[in-house]
Amino acid sequence: MVNLVVEHLKYRYPLGNELALEDISFEVKKGEFIGIIGENGSGKSTLCQAIVGLVPNFYKGAYGGKVLVKEIEVAQSDVSEISSYVGIVFQNPFTQITGSKLTVYEEVAFGLENLGIPREEMIKRIEESLKLLRLFEYRHFNPFELSGGQMQRLAIASVIAMKPDILVLDEPTSQLDPQGSEEVFQAIQDLAKNGMTIIIAEHKIEKIASYADKIILLHKGKLVDFDTPEKIFSREDIEEYGIVPPVYTRICKSLNVKNEAGFYPVTLEQVYYELVKVYG
Amino acid sequence: MDEVIRVQNLSFAYKQDYEVLKNISLVFDKKSTAIIGQNGAGKTTFVKLLKGLLKPTSGEIYIKGYNTKEVSTAFLSKYIGLVFQNPNDQIFKNTVLEEVMFGPLNILKDKKQAQENAIKALEMVGLQDKMHIHPYDLGLSDRKLVSIASIVSMDPDIIILDEPTIAQDHKGNTIIKNVIKELKEKGKLVITITHDMDFVAEIFERTIVLNEGIILLDGNTREVFSQQEILKKAYLELPHVAQLAKKLGIKQTLLTEQELINFLKHNKLNN
Amino acid sequence: MRYLSLYQEGNSLLHKIDPITKLLFVIIAILVPIIINTLTMALAFFIISTLLVFVARAFKRTLPIISFSSLVIITVLFIQGLFYLKNQTPFFTLGPFVFYKEGLLYATGIAIRIFNIINAVAVLIFTTKPSDLIEALVKKGVSPKIGYVFSSVLQIIPQMMSIVDTILDAQKARGLETEGSFTKRAKAFIPLIGPAVLNSLISTKERAMALEVRGFNSKKKKTFLNEVPYNKYSNVLQVALIAILVFSIIWRIISW
Ligand SMILES: Nc1ncnc2c1ncn2[C@@H]1O[C@H](COP(=O)(O)OP(=O)(O)OP(=O)(O)O)[C@@H](O)[C@H]1O
Ligand SMILES: Nc1ncnc2c1ncn2[C@@H]1O[C@H](COP(=O)(O)OP(=O)(O)OP(=O)(O)O)[C@@H](O)[C@H]1O
Ligand SMILES: [Mg+2]
Ligand SMILES: [Mg+2]
Repeated sequence: MVNLVVEHLKYRYPLGNELALEDISFEVKKGEFIGIIGENGSGKSTLCQAIVGLVPNFYKGAYGGKVLVKEIEVAQSDVSEISSYVGIVFQNPFTQITGSKLTVYEEVAFGLENLGIPREEMIKRIEESLKLLRLFEYRHFNPFELSGGQMQRLAIASVIAMKPDILVLDEPTSQLDPQGSEEVFQAIQDLAKNGMTIIIAEHKIEKIASYADKIILLHKGKLVDFDTPEKIFSREDIEEYGIVPPVYTRICKSLNVKNEAGFYPVTLEQVYYELVKVYG
Repeated sequence: MDEVIRVQNLSFAYKQDYEVLKNISLVFDKKSTAIIGQNGAGKTTFVKLLKGLLKPTSGEIYIKGYNTKEVSTAFLSKYIGLVFQNPNDQIFKNTVLEEVMFGPLNILKDKKQAQENAIKALEMVGLQDKMHIHPYDLGLSDRKLVSIASIVSMDPDIIILDEPTIAQDHKGNTIIKNVIKELKEKGKLVITITHDMDFVAEIFERTIVLNEGIILLDGNTREVFSQQEILKKAYLELPHVAQLAKKLGIKQTLLTEQELINFLKHNKLNN
Repeated sequence: MRYLSLYQEGNSLLHKIDPITKLLFVIIAILVPIIINTLTMALAFFIISTLLVFVARAFKRTLPIISFSSLVIITVLFIQGLFYLKNQTPFFTLGPFVFYKEGLLYATGIAIRIFNIINAVAVLIFTTKPSDLIEALVKKGVSPKIGYVFSSVLQIIPQMMSIVDTILDAQKARGLETEGSFTKRAKAFIPLIGPAVLNSLISTKERAMALEVRGFNSKKKKTFLNEVPYNKYSNVLQVALIAILVFSIIWRIISW
């Protein structure tokens, strides 16, 4: 079942000279885990914001094409209404805090109150998501007294608790400790298995390689490729787009080790399997 | 050994009964050092104390012999620079150039020299073409580079970077690595907080693991990464290469791609 | 970021009473002595609100406000005691000054009314989180947007203060002396106003986006995390308070 359609999406910021997004088209099925990669300024954040309708509803500017979420055209609807279907975690967690709540616990409640979630259910979801992000012991903290990484955890928890059909995450683990980012990737993979659609922009290439079903490769606002990690990272021209493949793929490239299908391995398990075959 | 920073029995609490740092003692010489540890471990708090922005609840910190409690933060800034975790907390001028000139102007009092230093620093991070832009019109990754340049331009002996690679792509990462290497060559002490273990393995001689306000590990980077059990306790991981080497049953702690490739070319795996 | 709030954690009876009831009490404590403009009524409310300040264990924190306004009130006592138009009956003399009973009584009336208002408001603000008060009003049907405007107003000063702190840190971290003499601090402070305003504008825009994506303007009926953990008698109390107001109005009309 397709639940996100992007058709010939074009966009230019009000003060921008060039198109930030240029003729982007793709479709995502329910429960898919999609990674967005691309160098700085390639348009990842802009695309994320277009999926939730902040582009163009908030930024204005020149917009063409359409984004359909569950058959609703986001540019034509209210961001607030769309928010019950699509959630977004911003790149900078500091800007995600609403500032109208005094504790971490109430901050997570904010979105749920607006969606009219019954109180019992609300409490259940708040506690679940705080525990998932290892923030439960900080529930009485003022959100602005958290460390950078804790704030980023809070941003993720607040959105996960809203249980959107589509979850958009813009570099959500940039400030998390290594196990924390692994936990977040696992948690969102679980959500995907339960039918939530995941769209995640990330520079952590190894993580995207092992978790994403498919990857969108952006360059200068254009969609270069939309395919599986093996195929994307086996592209000979990948570095021209400012992307260096995962360490594991690089090692295999140097040693010229490919899998049976003729692609370089991209995850720890795959590379282990191939290397043992050759060097074991 | 030339001691640059001395920390003696340092404790710190933001609010009563909640100690973030607990009785830490250590010495920094000129070895480039990574500070790693889980979210909320106290890393940012620790470097703000070194910088003099926070003062110890108890204990002493000496920066090149000056007790941080006895001199002003502004005075210390000649010797120690800190790049903040959130660049938005650091940036307050109207153009990139003015922002980067602010520091050198305060300590040098010479406009021409300050501008020269600023432009050199901007070239180092590759922003020389964006000098006249408003910092808030830049993306997060460029803004982070601006905040790095504005400390480098002050040319202090000690430079601390709080998670410099946030939001950087491969190119940005390379720029930051080169900046650090260049600073090392100039004989500066570089201390970096980061969650990127590959970055730690590649660049830093010494690694300190902070956990719940105490120092769990402190030593040569390779030694630290051989202590997998303790790292796990601190919510850390091995660098990607070390993870693969471990999985392949290699006993040595291998840290870089090249080390692993060389190993595979010259040894047989025994499983 | 901090919240502009004088609220203090506590578990007094008044902390457990819901914000609306306390707000009603403040309104009535101000209005009734105006409607029934007698010294007895003013005195009665003064006594009640003073008692409540003690029940709220807020006396220590109210004292500074009381003592500050006492300065004003003492001057009023002096002036009215000496010069009140209806002064007739000398009460006592202090050196060359003769104080009159009428003036002193009149001034005492003013003092009692002022202290009454201070006490009543103190009970409300020291025992109620502003966010709870706003939320309670929203539950009563005040638009969430108005509620948000109120809470933003309560936040704007602390927000500015924390932005100023952040910029001061950024400045001294890069060698600007911000400590020490007045001129040094002023020199650091003036160039700071521009960026502080700009930063708060930027964060206002970012905040608006943060609210929006969390459904702030959603047309769904809102629910609330904080159910009334308050005293179950609050309905009774509210009815009683309103009754007092109504009676006082009727009384006033009858005894016209
Ligand atoms: N508010 C804005 N006004 C004008 N131009 C903008 C604005 N935000 C972004 N841009 C421009 O749009 C392009 C795409 O930016 P975007 O932030 O989407 O990139 P990104 O891939 O998310 O980069 P990063 O990896 O640094 O987060 C860039 O050229 C950027 O300069
Ligand atoms: N201003 C503050 N007031 C009160 N507590 C604070 C404040 N800033 C930080 N803390 C608390 O102090 C602890 C240490 O925070 P710190 O920012 O030093 O962590 P960190 O190691 O840098 O984490 P991260 O990797 O997430 O940046 C955290 O538990 C945090 O909640
Ligand atoms: Mg981005
Ligand atoms: Mg930190």
